[in-house]
Amino acid sequence: MTLSLADIIPFLLLAARWTLLLSAIAFIGGASGALLLLLWRYGAPRTGRRATAIYIQLLQGTPLLLQLFLVFFGLPLLGVEVSPLAAASIALTLYASAFLAEIWRGCVDAIPLGQWDASASLGMNFVTQMRYIILPQSLKIAIPPTVGFLVQLLKSTALASIVGFNELTRSGQIVANATFKPFLIYALVALIYFAMCYPLTLGSRALERRMRITR
Amino acid sequence: MTYPLTRRTGLALAFALVAGTVLPAHADTLADVKAAGVLKVGIFEDFPPFASLNAAMKIEGYDTEVADKLATALGVKVELVGITGQNRIPFLTEGKVDLLLSIGYSDERAQVVDYTDAYAPYYIAVMGPKDIDVKDAAGLSGKSIAVNRGTLEDTEVTKVAPADADIQRFSDYSGVISAFLSGQVQLMVVGNDVGATILAQNPAIEPVEKFLLLTSPSQMAVKKGEAPLQKAINDALIAMKASGELNDLAVKWLKQPLVAGF
Repeated sequence: MTLSLADIIPFLLLAARWTLLLSAIAFIGGASGALLLLLWRYGAPRTGRRATAIYIQLLQGTPLLLQLFLVFFGLPLLGVEVSPLAAASIALTLYASAFLAEIWRGCVDAIPLGQWDASASLGMNFVTQMRYIILPQSLKIAIPPTVGFLVQLLKSTALASIVGFNELTRSGQIVANATFKPFLIYALVALIYFAMCYPLTLGSRALERRMRITR
Repeated sequence: MTYPLTRRTGLALAFALVAGTVLPAHADTLADVKAAGVLKVGIFEDFPPFASLNAAMKIEGYDTEVADKLATALGVKVELVGITGQNRIPFLTEGKVDLLLSIGYSDERAQVVDYTDAYAPYYIAVMGPKDIDVKDAAGLSGKSIAVNRGTLEDTEVTKVAPADADIQRFSDYSGVISAFLSGQVQLMVVGNDVGATILAQNPAIEPVEKFLLLTSPSQMAVKKGEAPLQKAINDALIAMKASGELNDLAVKWLKQPLVAGF
């Protein structure tokens, strides 16, 4: 029995779909969560500052692997059944929301206080200030670190194999042990990861260039 | 507005946790399996010849065929779930799978799972290239050895190896075999059937059996206290052994007939 590259490559590409899907869910979910945390933090600083800090510290201070374990094996203890995809999506979303919230906090803090004061003196309320003054300026600073994190997130999806999710890395391991050619298989897997991450970096650069022109 | 964790909510939460852990234990998995019409079987997906990718890119091997036959005997469909040495016990105890295949007996495991009869011979051997001279456990001194974390291989080699043996633990069989084939470790601990399958692929480093570490027939495991499912599986196994079906599978995949006692 021999596996040919013509069989292996489509198999790995199909597995890469799951990596992409998981990354997309984690990024969209994480970005939405992070935005809510950001609004809470700046909109209601009295409770928000402390609460979001605790949330971020908890999620940044524990390994993603354990978060995956806790969601997958912990929720059923509370009577909630979760599939591997659901568990991986929940854990990665929580993880991404904490990191993005912290990245974006830095970007908002980088906006000079004078911008807040000036917009407040024009009678703008918090939502209007955020919408028209603070967030558009933070966005420019936020793009490089956000894309950097997104690339990292895409690669972190490999950890989802621990809950029985056959994404790209896990599929690579399975193929490697059927062919006993680990170097070839892992090189292919690395290439596929690169092919997914490099366009993100390129896109980020293009976006930065465009934003600089409008300044 | 804040919601402090009062003693009452704390108690309610504790109760929910306890109830959540205790109640499912009373459920009858066999009844659940029959009602759902599906038997969820946990197998390694990178563990030739018990289960690995075939030329049609499907997981296939001794374990997958045994699982098929068991499900047929119970009158349900089989659903194969890929597991690793690290996550399989939680998968079973949390009900993600109903049955684990390819699990060797150990006293520690017997405290958390219930075993069925043996269904496959399994010899755990230390393997290495021809030019490394190792004849027994003492010979492991100063050598690097790859092993799958959390398996019987791990427990056994950790027990017998001298203190200066460099035991490197990998999270799956793929890691163990890759590490050996790439020369990262000098020796590896695997089932001897796994070694035979590697040899058939003509790798650059040819593994040779150095010495037998342990003979531990593969068994299956069900969640603790699931006597009806355990009995149903054992009955099916007895029937498969009597009809010669299991022997046919052993000849097909393990390249040897089942020995007496099976």
